[in-house]
Amino acid sequence: MFTVRLCRDDSPWSKSISFYLQLGAIVVSLRVLFRVIFNLGDATENILLDLPAVSIDIGFGNTVHLLGAVSALSIQAALIDGFRLAAIILSIGMANSLANPRKLLRATPGALYEIATAVSIAINLAPQLIASLKQVRRARGLRGNSKGISALTGIVIPVLEDTIEQSMQLAASMSARGFGRRCNRNAIQLRLTRFTSFLTLTFITIGVAMLLFSPVQQYVDLLIILAGLAFAAITLRLSSTKTTRTKYIVQRWGVVDAIIMASSALVLLTALSGAFSQ
Amino acid sequence: MIEIKNLTFSYLDSEGKKKSENPQLNRVNLSINSGEFVLVCGPTGSGKSTFLKTLNGLAPNFTGGVISGELLLDGINLLGSEPHEFSHLVGYVNQQPEGAFVADIVLDEIVYSAEQLAISKEQIKESLDHLVELLGLEGMLHRPLTTLSGGQQQRVAIAAALIGGAKVLLLDEPTSALDLKGATEVLELLQKLSREEGVSVLLAEHRISRVIGAVDSVIVVHGDGSVTKGKPAEQFNDSRFAPPIIELGKKLGWNPLAMTSNQGRKLWQQKPAEYARRKINESGALVLETRELEVTFGKVTAVKPTNLKLFGNQVTALMGENGSGKTTLCWAIQGSGYRTSGTVLTVAGDPKDLSTQDRLALVTMVPQRASDLLFLNSLAEELKESDNFAKVQPGTTGALFLKLAGRIDTAIHPRDLSAGQQLSLVLAIQLVKNAPVLVLDEPTRGLDYAAKRALAKQLDQLRTNNRAVLLATHDIEFVAMVADRVVVIDSGELVLDSNPLEVLGTGKELSSQIAEITGEQGLITIEQVLN
Repeated sequence: MFTVRLCRDDSPWSKSISFYLQLGAIVVSLRVLFRVIFNLGDATENILLDLPAVSIDIGFGNTVHLLGAVSALSIQAALIDGFRLAAIILSIGMANSLANPRKLLRATPGALYEIATAVSIAINLAPQLIASLKQVRRARGLRGNSKGISALTGIVIPVLEDTIEQSMQLAASMSARGFGRRCNRNAIQLRLTRFTSFLTLTFITIGVAMLLFSPVQQYVDLLIILAGLAFAAITLRLSSTKTTRTKYIVQRWGVVDAIIMASSALVLLTALSGAFSQ
Repeated sequence: MIEIKNLTFSYLDSEGKKKSENPQLNRVNLSINSGEFVLVCGPTGSGKSTFLKTLNGLAPNFTGGVISGELLLDGINLLGSEPHEFSHLVGYVNQQPEGAFVADIVLDEIVYSAEQLAISKEQIKESLDHLVELLGLEGMLHRPLTTLSGGQQQRVAIAAALIGGAKVLLLDEPTSALDLKGATEVLELLQKLSREEGVSVLLAEHRISRVIGAVDSVIVVHGDGSVTKGKPAEQFNDSRFAPPIIELGKKLGWNPLAMTSNQGRKLWQQKPAEYARRKINESGALVLETRELEVTFGKVTAVKPTNLKLFGNQVTALMGENGSGKTTLCWAIQGSGYRTSGTVLTVAGDPKDLSTQDRLALVTMVPQRASDLLFLNSLAEELKESDNFAKVQPGTTGALFLKLAGRIDTAIHPRDLSAGQQLSLVLAIQLVKNAPVLVLDEPTRGLDYAAKRALAKQLDQLRTNNRAVLLATHDIEFVAMVADRVVVIDSGELVLDSNPLEVLGTGKELSSQIAEITGEQGLITIEQVLN
């Protein structure tokens, strides 16, 4: 976190970290709130909060228990769950604040064009969303709206439309400037890279999801992630067999980059040692 | 060399299934030679942008729609290919470069295309040096793009479009956001590119009065699907987009028509015409006054302490170069913009201290990005909401919009309107609010001459009930048409406050084209000339 504060620059996406922090806080509080509302009501010790229990029969012989006695243990579990999600959100946010998404895209192999375009739109989404929100709110103040207009139509839809339009404009501009060209590449090679990149994404997504949400068969998760990484290596190998781009500008390795990499490595080591000591 | 054969392009209907019955471009046949400088014009919303986009694959790949026919670039049919398959042949420059930049630093931005095209380092260096010299980008290469002026940004965008070796350059209204100086620079460069470098330049523009003298030919996108190409003199029968110099020639029966101010001057001197006095409205009572209004962002002073009085029954034009503080001043006066110090006085108090509702009853504003104000799903809903909010007869906004933009199917989604049509819609929505102070920030961007005349007529009718209009703009011809008073702002400071005949008259820095041609004192608009 401190690394982020130190190293971010003045560009628009670097301001998105506060947005992600707020999102994380919302996730944690929602998780705890849900735990309190959809309580199983069967806690017997360490009662923290004794709320009147409500049972609703939803038919089919099923009953939903709401509220009731809340134990410290269940709150703790909810907090841990919430923080786990928030940590993921924050990690994405921090990466987003530090790395210029456009520089990242420069380094993406051209063969991953479709995925890279999707990623470029996604990566730009959060900062663009914030910029659009400001713009639309300012514009709302200029127009005003009659009582029949809800916040959904008045703010949310224009913000989303604007955000997507801006991201599409960037994608269009990149394409018009030659991004995604497949020089000397035949259709079979193209299909092959597309297939392997699809496998990469599928395996990694499933592996990470399993690791996070059902940490029982730990070795299976790791195996799946490793398989995903292997496919990633194959994809990159396939897509960079022929040089399709020139590197005119070489990114220099600066002090800032060193700090970021060092602190990331530290976090990774701590996490790994924690996992194995369990 | 571009050859277009039987090119037809239609957007899909709202369900995304069928082609709409009237194609945007219908059986277009024309060709463009290498080194040809072509102006692409046509009425607001006729499809100029769409036409340009079909020439590098952005349409239909990024716009949706169906295309057919042939598009031959150096003999190879590329119709319907993805934009990146065109990038070594065709460069594209957008209206707002800041949204289309793919990098942060000038150098990264320029070489991007060449890197993607796998051009060798030595070759990139060579083209880069050449373009830097040609486009005057020395000393700028390591600056962040955001620190450049609008004109500089457009020059970077042109260099970036050409570095991959493209010999065709498409520009979609590249000067519409630029001041006179920036626009002139860009136009001179384009002329040089076509003459000296053999680049075919296709330039879509609305401000064409200073362009037509320089171009080899004119393509008109008529709006009914037809697209024609010809010599400048043959192409301006449609007065919707004919510039003042053509209108003057037609009014006075010049044959052949004058295309440049110099030609016009000779013809005028041979046989000058009578002209009427330019009407300047008597000012009403004081409506709004700024006292020591100051805006600073960090260390930068955008608006120095300003005392400006706006009077009723008058249109006050606020002119100045890009970055001189026009927009900042508009927002500060409107009340929701940031201010460092100072107050704005009106009968209802300082707009800054009012609730949104009360502020709208006092000051309405049309911002530069007018489309931000549109948020409903169809034109019909927008018009209805506007009538509801302003508590006027149903249909009032619609009638006003009809006057400004002509008849348009009200089922259309507001985002599918052209930039000019969106602006007309926002103007109509804000005008029906009937507030005593109206602030317009660049309201003529993307409007054709017919739409500008309609807007001028509308503003003319607003000079009643002691209403004050503040109009921030670069558009000299429009100011000549409507303003009663011109205030010039330079680096955040009001430096001139006078009547339009003084500021826009012959021999002045901001002189209108009619003043430039005729050299007559007190003559600044075509409307004054009697035939």
